[in-house]
Amino acid sequence: MNRLRSYFLAPAVFFLVLLFVTPLGIILGYSLLSRGAYGGVELPVTVENYLRLFDPLYALILIRSVAYAAIATLVCLLLGFPLALFIARSQKHKTLFLALVVIPFWTSFLVRTYAWMFLLRDTGLINFTLQRLGILSEPLPLLYNAFAVVLGLVYGYLPFMVLPIYAALEKLDRAVLEAAADLGARPFEALWRVTLPLSMPGIRAGTVLVFISCLGSYLTPDLLGGGKTIMIGTLIQNQFTSARNWPFGSALSLVLMAIVMLMVLSALRRQEDRL
Amino acid sequence: MKRRSFFLAVPGLAGCWPAKKRRLNVLNWSDYVAPETLPDFEHEFGVYVRYGTFESAEEMLARVMSGNSGWDVVFPPNYYIHPMVLMGLLAPLDHSRLTHLDALQKEFQAPPWDKGLRWSVPYMYGATGILFQAGLEPRPQAWADLWRESWRGRMTMLDDPAEVLGACLKKLGYSLNSGDENQLLAAKAEALRQKPLLRAYANETIRDQLVAGELLAAQVWRSTAMRAMQAAPGKLNFAYPQEGFPLYCDTVAILRESKRQELAHAFLNYLLRPQVARRIGETKLESTVNAEARKLLPATLREDPVLYPPAEVLERGEWFEPLPARVQQIRDRIWTEIKSA
Amino acid sequence: MRQRWLSFYAAGAYLFLHLPLAVLAVFSFNSSRFTVWEGFTLAWYEVAWRDEHLLEATMNSFVVAASATGIATAVGTLCAYALWKRGCLWISATLYLSLVTPEIVLGVALLAFYQWLFRHLNFQLGMHTVILAHVMFSIAYVVTVVSARLRGFDRAQEEAAMDLGATEWQAFFRVTLPQLLPGVFSAALLAFIISFDDFVITSFVAGVDSETLPMVIYSMARKGFSPAVNAISTVIVFVLGVLILLVERLRER
Repeated sequence: MNRLRSYFLAPAVFFLVLLFVTPLGIILGYSLLSRGAYGGVELPVTVENYLRLFDPLYALILIRSVAYAAIATLVCLLLGFPLALFIARSQKHKTLFLALVVIPFWTSFLVRTYAWMFLLRDTGLINFTLQRLGILSEPLPLLYNAFAVVLGLVYGYLPFMVLPIYAALEKLDRAVLEAAADLGARPFEALWRVTLPLSMPGIRAGTVLVFISCLGSYLTPDLLGGGKTIMIGTLIQNQFTSARNWPFGSALSLVLMAIVMLMVLSALRRQEDRL
Repeated sequence: MKRRSFFLAVPGLAGCWPAKKRRLNVLNWSDYVAPETLPDFEHEFGVYVRYGTFESAEEMLARVMSGNSGWDVVFPPNYYIHPMVLMGLLAPLDHSRLTHLDALQKEFQAPPWDKGLRWSVPYMYGATGILFQAGLEPRPQAWADLWRESWRGRMTMLDDPAEVLGACLKKLGYSLNSGDENQLLAAKAEALRQKPLLRAYANETIRDQLVAGELLAAQVWRSTAMRAMQAAPGKLNFAYPQEGFPLYCDTVAILRESKRQELAHAFLNYLLRPQVARRIGETKLESTVNAEARKLLPATLREDPVLYPPAEVLERGEWFEPLPARVQQIRDRIWTEIKSA
Repeated sequence: MRQRWLSFYAAGAYLFLHLPLAVLAVFSFNSSRFTVWEGFTLAWYEVAWRDEHLLEATMNSFVVAASATGIATAVGTLCAYALWKRGCLWISATLYLSLVTPEIVLGVALLAFYQWLFRHLNFQLGMHTVILAHVMFSIAYVVTVVSARLRGFDRAQEEAAMDLGATEWQAFFRVTLPQLLPGVFSAALLAFIISFDDFVITSFVAGVDSETLPMVIYSMARKGFSPAVNAISTVIVFVLGVLILLVERLRER
């Protein structure tokens, strides 16, 4: 029993230790060093990078980013759950319907985002169509605001919600639902009492994946939000690029990771909810 | 055989492919040479050129910083030369192999960032300015015009700390590269005052919105402006702001790690040939630093007031410089505050 | 009745997902470089076909994404199964940690790690370093999705099989794995789109001959994309779409 389990764990542990834990140790080291003038790190050792984090500015940015990520995750869940349910319930063409969810993501993120900018801008396709139809006289401001950011996040990470929920729901036996119906459960009741509880592992997994990904995103707020608010992902990205402050970027990331880990683990308190 | 053989070979995995031919690995901005520049060089020298591209100068630096990257020739912006020399990444140039150096325009034979051209050869230069709708009244001529209340919501600035702070500093009459804390704080106040008037901080993505007339005026890189003006002839105009504006120069340099120094020098010298530089000048919407090449350009291009502005306009320009760590830290904090406001 | 409402909803959701795709496909046939319709042309497909840089990067992307997806799906599935058998807080925590690590941090860290390694071993950045990096960051996604499927499984099934004389291995391969497959397939789809589209990490660990499609596309951003990018994206979607349809047909037989 245990032998099989260790064989199965070994490859994952190998990859994680070699390619994740060790490099993460390097980042921990970076966070305790001084910045090189033009990127990179230098001696002496310092905790200044952590002290700099005690600044309401960064707390504000974190809170704002968490809020955006939470809203986007909720919308993803509301949009993704019925879609996953539809795919899981369809008798024919399951693979096709599932593939249709990921097909748009075989194109580059940047190209998709540019397509959204074309759709959303003042003279873009949506405003153009609405004005042609006489529904609007003035273009609706769709681009460069919070709406566009949430839309971009939801669009970008919807498969991260749909795929795990589908994976959890697919095994749901029709027989269970029929049994529920036979026992007099109305469709909604069956959904609420039977389907939803059974899909909880998928919902949990999807929520974790989407929330974490939204929190780390940096291009969507910049491109669709017009760069008028800064998110934690962009702040970290800036430290490693334009600001060339690797130690501060490392410290910032590690603290962010610690906070998000606490959030995830406290949300998944019960051991059987976790991985 | 050579160029399409990747259909046969497993791409990349071979690593040393094509084994027979000498090769040169060149890391540059996307699409920044004329269509025939590389094929002609390959043909003449019997080599294979790998042309890799980067998205930002930071990415370029990150990719070569290891000193074991495999690249031979890179195209850093002028303000990266000094840092890259300090990091020991660049190889000193052997002027005896660069026989066409005197084709360069006088100013670029001893540029401020590399006085003796010890480490780099200037390639093309560009600027930042204002692109606006041709009929716009009053006609934008200064950075201060981008603070105009009546154009609220129809202006954008670049999403780039050096550019936004640079414009604010220039508006106040300071240097682009200022490290003075009081001047930087004054610039921050300007940026904060401007932010509510802006539609967005955005780079190349606003080009189509300017062409469509959604935006009235925008801070843009001149290369973006040139492309937008080409897309809609007569519809848009470009201004070099009166208070002064940033200038940047892309350069060519050889990495110290390169084991093909001789071929790399031959490539640099090839790019300096007036005929080669002329074709690059004709096809890439930046200004050539090669005086001989410029003479060969068609008159419409040679006299283009945006690509080759008169000397009195260029005098208002200021080159970006590398900034000390302390100044970068202040600037980053200010930029975060501006974006967070 | 309810299924019909669900179908209507799904149609709307698919429209939302595919609208940008339709836009970029339409503009791949536009004779202007800009987002203004000028006329129909196939010229951008020819441009893309002649652009070795773009084609080679596309090939590289496929090689990287296919290898990374294959390896990560196998490794991740086994890991998820083992953790389902008996949890291990350390491994779970490490997996979550790899999910919450910002991409740029993974990129910088991996580059530093590889450099340190190269000082002792004689090799360079290349396809192998990219594939290893992609496997690493995909594993946690695979484990998460597969675990979601394993959650509701009845442990008694395997025990029953073993009571009937099956070994552990047989119980896993004959009983559990077949039921896991929809989850494994979902996980593989997810791993593929993450790997195929990764820019930040790849740009740090790619060598001279391993530029991927996202790297080429991002490097075009400063000058505006050529519609050739739309053309190649359309072809990729078309080819992979047909492939999926064929698989579906074969499965139905």
